[in-house]
Amino acid sequence: MASEHLPTGLVLVSHSDVLLEGLHAMAAQVAGDDVVLLTAGGTDDGRLGTSADKIGSALRAALDRADDVLVLLDLGSALLSLEVALATLEPAERNRVRVAQAPLVEGTIVAAVQASLGADIDAVTTAAEQASTLPKGVGPGR
Amino acid sequence: MTERRVTVTDPAGLHARQAAGVVRVASRFDSRTTIRHGEHEANARSMIEILGLAIGPSTEITLVAEGEDADAALDALALQLEPPSDPGMGSTPASSSTVDG
Repeated sequence: MASEHLPTGLVLVSHSDVLLEGLHAMAAQVAGDDVVLLTAGGTDDGRLGTSADKIGSALRAALDRADDVLVLLDLGSALLSLEVALATLEPAERNRVRVAQAPLVEGTIVAAVQASLGADIDAVTTAAEQASTLPKGVGPGR
Repeated sequence: MTERRVTVTDPAGLHARQAAGVVRVASRFDSRTTIRHGEHEANARSMIEILGLAIGPSTEITLVAEGEDADAALDALALQLEPPSDPGMGSTPASSSTVDG
């Protein structure tokens, strides 16, 4: 990968920190350990929910190491917390953040693979969003 | 244009981790590489398109490459899909109920 560009980073937001711990491990196994991937799961006191502070910290950490950052969310109020977190960023930083309309699990895996290959934010976003139509593979019911 | 038929040997089929490996290998070559499964085709650089083929175990697929380094690309892709001995890259033996990667 060319060195003049930083990679595209990922920030995962979920109501559950445990869920993101598992998803992070899956992404690392499929895409390798070098992907810039930060997580913001659960509330500040460790309950199920989302935290604008946690999301803001994850965004800033990812922006330090990546040219652009793609955010993948789980459900509902995750987006509200993300909007609060985005408001705490400088406009120039905020412009480097994009939100994927993608399923969290499949979107994260394919986005991580594309990011590991040095793909830019457009290609990583496209890959993540195409995951919406991914079949569940071979097996019963097909 | 060069073609090669290979059989996916992994007992879990062409699963996510292996698809990622295919994308990584295909991205190293300039040739346009395609995986053909029956009537369907996937760009070998697209994980989504590969997973969309839903290729099961012991399935014969066709690798197609077009470009200056087509032969080298096919060699590398075939090695990725039919490794001489797969050291459990994707799955545990069929008797087990768990599947890795």
